[in-house]
Amino acid sequence: MATLEATATAKSWRRRDRRATAGLISGPLLWLVVFFLLPVGFVAAYSVGGIRIFPTDGGLSLDDWRRFLAGDSIYLGLFWKSVRMSLTVSVAVVVLSYPIGYFLALCAKRRKYVLLLLIIVPFLTSYLLRVLAWKVILGDRGVVNSLLFWLNLRAPDDPLPWLLYSQFTVTLVLAYVWVPFVALPVFVSLDNLDRSLLEAASDLGASRWRTFWRVTFPLSLPGVVAGFVFVFVPTIGEFVTPLLVGGTGGYMYGNAIQDLFTKGLDWQSGSVLAFFLLGVVAALMLIFGRYVRVQSVAG
Amino acid sequence: MDDAGFLRSALGRRDLLKYAGIAAILAACKKADTGTGSGGAGGDTGQGTTGATGPTATRPTIDEEPGGLQVFDWGGYGDGTYYPKEEKKFLWQAYQTATGDTPEFILFEDDDFGYAKVAAGAVEFDVVHPCAYRFRDWVALDVLQPWDTSLLSNFASLNPTLNAAGNFDGQQYFVVADWGFAAPMYRADKVEPLQDSWDVLWDERYEGKISWWDSVNMLVVAGYYHGVPDPWAMTDDELVQMRDFMASKKHLVRFMWSQSFDLWRAFKQEEVWIGYAWPDVVGYAKTGGFDVVYMEPKEGRTSWYCGFGLAKDSANYHHAHAYVDSWTSTKAAEFLLNYYYYGHTNTGLDLSIISPEIVEAFSLSDPTVLEEPRSHYERPIERRDVYSQYWSEVKAA
Repeated sequence: MATLEATATAKSWRRRDRRATAGLISGPLLWLVVFFLLPVGFVAAYSVGGIRIFPTDGGLSLDDWRRFLAGDSIYLGLFWKSVRMSLTVSVAVVVLSYPIGYFLALCAKRRKYVLLLLIIVPFLTSYLLRVLAWKVILGDRGVVNSLLFWLNLRAPDDPLPWLLYSQFTVTLVLAYVWVPFVALPVFVSLDNLDRSLLEAASDLGASRWRTFWRVTFPLSLPGVVAGFVFVFVPTIGEFVTPLLVGGTGGYMYGNAIQDLFTKGLDWQSGSVLAFFLLGVVAALMLIFGRYVRVQSVAG
Repeated sequence: MDDAGFLRSALGRRDLLKYAGIAAILAACKKADTGTGSGGAGGDTGQGTTGATGPTATRPTIDEEPGGLQVFDWGGYGDGTYYPKEEKKFLWQAYQTATGDTPEFILFEDDDFGYAKVAAGAVEFDVVHPCAYRFRDWVALDVLQPWDTSLLSNFASLNPTLNAAGNFDGQQYFVVADWGFAAPMYRADKVEPLQDSWDVLWDERYEGKISWWDSVNMLVVAGYYHGVPDPWAMTDDELVQMRDFMASKKHLVRFMWSQSFDLWRAFKQEEVWIGYAWPDVVGYAKTGGFDVVYMEPKEGRTSWYCGFGLAKDSANYHHAHAYVDSWTSTKAAEFLLNYYYYGHTNTGLDLSIISPEIVEAFSLSDPTVLEEPRSHYERPIERRDVYSQYWSEVKAA
């Protein structure tokens, strides 16, 4: 009898658990469906001509997909150009961010959170303002060129032309924008590091350099990889920064998508490009999830 | 031009400027309603353009309307982007005085962007202000209703040819108000063009100091430069040639502008010396003390005109008419000419109150300045999607 009662109680708890789980998950699930899956569905429908927006739109067709995947359009090439630029930005950001994260986690001691805040403070201002500020710095009459004129390294009529409106500018500004987003996961990885491992390495006679490469760096790799992906994924589809400081040379895949939607009024091609990008990003996230433990960089 | 000779000999300078300006506008607009060939208006010219065209008896009176007129427009056309006090004073203070209402402005970056937003249902408006090459598309989108021209006191004073350009199927869907040129502009102290030609926009000597407009119109300009018979309706072969040509010259270009103010900012920062420009940039540059020349290329300038449309479901029908009436007044015309160097369709403007420098920049004393082949009116491009595709390829090249 007691066993039956215990079983019934356990079943009741399980039912309650299931209801609680369903209740907790329904909110995020609804959010995901309304603000992600449905829009993605719309984009997919646009990409095959399933939804008409303009009176001149055609019907169902896979031609845009075929042209894109066969490489008949210029956009696949533009995608690889954007991938190259994003890779450059991501590597640069990781290289710049690692020393920051290292210093904050292992050297700054009690001041680390104050310093962390100081790094984040500029990012409380408008993204546009920060990007436009680079125009003031890099322009033909900007801070850098003015300094070069003053040092007689360049003639006033001959400023460095590639400082602004170039791939270099886009890379530089994106790197600046994303540094804190990589410094943070690196910092979290290193901050969670078991210090006794460093002591053990030291006790066993390892130099600081050897300790770093054999202990610290491998253990911080999840943070590094997470930071890399945090930068790489959004910058492939970046369009605001290239629009503002990229000029004709800094045009990226994201700009092509924007142009197709807003200037070319070719939502079908734009959706093909957007959906393809989404697929690439999803694949990257799957790989990321497979090889990196999220908890290790989430604190 | 016999008429011009007569005008010069028989009239004083003030009258000459006034009538010559009007004549110039009329002469050019004559082309706009010829349909094919040189002109460019998209309207139904066979229909009357004045008089009431829509029933108003069953509508709420202006006092019964909610107000808060929503105007979907370019920046600087009343929202105060560039001249906060003057835009209000000249463009819509009369509206505010008449109705007690303050319009709300929703801005679009360019025609395509505005059209796309409305097509997607992403914006609500009472009045919209697109340019002529998309007039027919807006009508086809079925989001507009015709104006009742009897409610527009200034309508009879507007250029009749451009009024006709806004008339579709006998209905006045657009009230055309503003027009202007598009031509190369350059710093006279830095640039010495080899000739007065569009080729200054791809002059190898000025690599990195050139700015193009981010628009398919650049392909059209290339078409005029290469002597294509009809650059507004190029064949695939012609488009491929223009695409390849522009792509080969793109390395000379520092950046492409979407809003003309960006071009002015770049001129001011000395980032560029040469640009495909609208007259407002010439105005900003001259006001800013720059020695600039607004070229009249041998292939001809291009020109454009824009007009107001009324939303099909607008609850502010009478407010909208009052707003456009304010915008089509001579006061608004004075503002457009003096501040933006844009033309206006109100032919009642006394040009003697306009700066002589502007009259000179527009060549308003020359009645032929807007005629073909000196100027080519912007026309709807039937295969705009194909042009856009090729232009995208130039940008991505």
